[in-house]
Amino acid sequence: MGRVSVAFQAFFAALGGRLTGDRLQLALADQSSVTDRFPVNAPPNISEGSANGRSEAVTLLSALQREARLVDLIQEPLGDYSDEQVGAAARDVLRDCRSVLERLFALRPVLDEVEESEVEASADLGPARLRVRGSSSSEGESVRGRLVHPGWEAGRCELPQWSGDTNDQLVVAPAEIEI
Amino acid sequence: MTSRFVIGIDLGTTNCVVAYAELESPDAPKIELLQIPQLVTAGTVESFSNLPSFLYLASEREQVAAGVLPWSSGSGDQIVGRSARTQAAETPERTVSAAKSWLGHSGVDRHAAILPWEAPQEVPRISPVCATQRYLEHLVCSWNAAHPDAPFTDQKIVITVPASFDASARELTREAAVGAGAPANFVLLEEPQAAVYAWLTDEGELWRDRIQVGDQLLVCDVGGGTTDLTLIRASEVDGALQLDRLAVGKHLLVGGDNMDLALAHHAVEAFSEQNVKLDAWQSVSLWHACRHAKESLLADDGPESQKVSILGRGRKLIGGTVSTDLDREAVTRLLVDGFFPRCNLEDRPQMRHQSGFVQIGLPFESDTAITRHIANFLGNYDQSESTSIQPTHLLFNGGVFRSGALRQRMTDVLSAWYVDRPPAELHGTRDLDHAVARGAAYYGWTKERGGVRIRGGTARSYYMGVETAGLAIPGAPRPLKAICVVPFGMEEGTQVDVPGSEIGLVLGQPVQFRFFSSLVRREDQVGAVLDSVDENQLEETDSLEASLPPSSTGNESYVPVRFQSRVTELGVFELWCVSTQSEDRWKLEFSVRPE
Repeated sequence: MGRVSVAFQAFFAALGGRLTGDRLQLALADQSSVTDRFPVNAPPNISEGSANGRSEAVTLLSALQREARLVDLIQEPLGDYSDEQVGAAARDVLRDCRSVLERLFALRPVLDEVEESEVEASADLGPARLRVRGSSSSEGESVRGRLVHPGWEAGRCELPQWSGDTNDQLVVAPAEIEI
Repeated sequence: MTSRFVIGIDLGTTNCVVAYAELESPDAPKIELLQIPQLVTAGTVESFSNLPSFLYLASEREQVAAGVLPWSSGSGDQIVGRSARTQAAETPERTVSAAKSWLGHSGVDRHAAILPWEAPQEVPRISPVCATQRYLEHLVCSWNAAHPDAPFTDQKIVITVPASFDASARELTREAAVGAGAPANFVLLEEPQAAVYAWLTDEGELWRDRIQVGDQLLVCDVGGGTTDLTLIRASEVDGALQLDRLAVGKHLLVGGDNMDLALAHHAVEAFSEQNVKLDAWQSVSLWHACRHAKESLLADDGPESQKVSILGRGRKLIGGTVSTDLDREAVTRLLVDGFFPRCNLEDRPQMRHQSGFVQIGLPFESDTAITRHIANFLGNYDQSESTSIQPTHLLFNGGVFRSGALRQRMTDVLSAWYVDRPPAELHGTRDLDHAVARGAAYYGWTKERGGVRIRGGTARSYYMGVETAGLAIPGAPRPLKAICVVPFGMEEGTQVDVPGSEIGLVLGQPVQFRFFSSLVRREDQVGAVLDSVDENQLEETDSLEASLPPSSTGNESYVPVRFQSRVTELGVFELWCVSTQSEDRWKLEFSVRPE
């Protein structure tokens, strides 16, 4: 039989391409769209973290601070700064707040019609959903008028689940030390 | 066990997404996205439709207590997802990122604990395979927590990989998936194909009106860190329209992250003109701001200029804020002309020569011009084939293409190459972040229930290296021949005997073969012998090895064998040595440890 010897060694050439190692390490948050246009399943039953009693209000405040620095902005005395300085900082904070609110609450108007247009709403809508301004004597099945404000309603309410130590339940943001 | 769901997993370089559908759904599947619980900061868990592919190796005081996540498995010192991504920016030396790019890089041992790359001594490290397995475990746990009645292992699973992944990178992905609890019969699907399936689900039966026989579809998938190209042709079989995958491009390590970084560099210059020097923390924050600026400035109705601000770090948020203006024209020039320059079909990526000293690391592209890489892909194909290449349609995938300016530029460049019939963009729903996972779920559904399929087969041809016999010359390696063992486009569920002379294997000893693949030699038949290895056409990949047991019958030390290659129904590639004298056969396995 023909004896053909077999190449033995794997050979790994030093690979080409310039190394830009920092590039990958600097990887940061993508701001992928928070609005899913596709149906989303109900969130899994996350362990009932609220058992250790943290108010969801603190969790929300913490998320707004973590992602948008809202608490820092509000707590800073405004007197020292020009409108332009405040505007520059607020623009980013507001943008990030909006993204948090959008994600957690999926805000949408109570009435879909365009603001300032003439609308007709069902009289069945309770006062929480519809506030009628001005004098109206009509006791009909619907309310007609100019839409001053379409209202807001949460499309969902999905707050992060917290399950830390009871002593930490009121912490909104940790202190930071750089070594 | 019967499966109730089909689950598609986009195992991305920077993000993982899981989509699923009920197998029993009538006519068309309703595809949903799995919400993935993950740590966002210490003690706080939130669910998202994506899991960032980052792994943070927590120090002792940062360990995650049991019960924080909705499952108990997994160790508390390895944190996956959003919290880890934040850490990647703040503590890069403890964070694994781009594990997938390492998985596809045959220059390193993918089983060795090498990540985080260049981490300091005190940080524990893990292997690229292990990191990949951790991401998948997190996804599996998320699924099981949400569907306690339908365990992951019992479902039909489709996991996507880059089309440019070679056989060994696919095998490593398979290993990680099975390790994470995927059933052994799960299927690997190429990402650009998944993007096409997503388009097909969006269009429904209408797709047949959009594409005609002979049309060619160029899928251009630009992710965070990689660019993946695929060409698909519509043909007619028995009167019905069918899609065939014609070619896939090289694994290109250039993507959206490069663009954000380029913009950040540009902004740093603008800041330094104002005498503002940025520290490391501010640079991270700048990158974040630049990403927003990129999306808004490159949008169709974007502003003429956009303020980029870095908020003050401590509680002095307003006082510490610095900002600068980026204008649309400069940013467009930087990103559109920088990454998608107008060029000719004859242009090729510019290779920069190394200056003697080469560091091992990920082989990033030295030319970031994606259009030149596309010219290279289409142009190279044209030279070697009888079929002429004329992309008639373009399908974009990856978050980068949210920008209308970039889609427009790509369309313009290709229209200039193919003046007679400029390619048209296929829109679909442009759900660029989830298309691959949704397409994978749809593919899994059609596999069970029937529907249009893309025929592809192997995306490369594969070669075994065999030293030529002859007098040895001291100091010179024996010349190497390459035998084609798997032709391009070999289909799933087929096997082929490699013709040619027998090869003698030593019994009782491990044998090892050098192994090569080619994206450009599409005409070689099985058994074809190449007299030399041309590095421009053949890439060496992990070697193959087998351990042969000692002979049972006699004392002959050699056994004559022929090769047999198989591609299983699941797309797994196998090479066997089959004895010509007995019934014995041995499977060759990838040896992913470089020596």
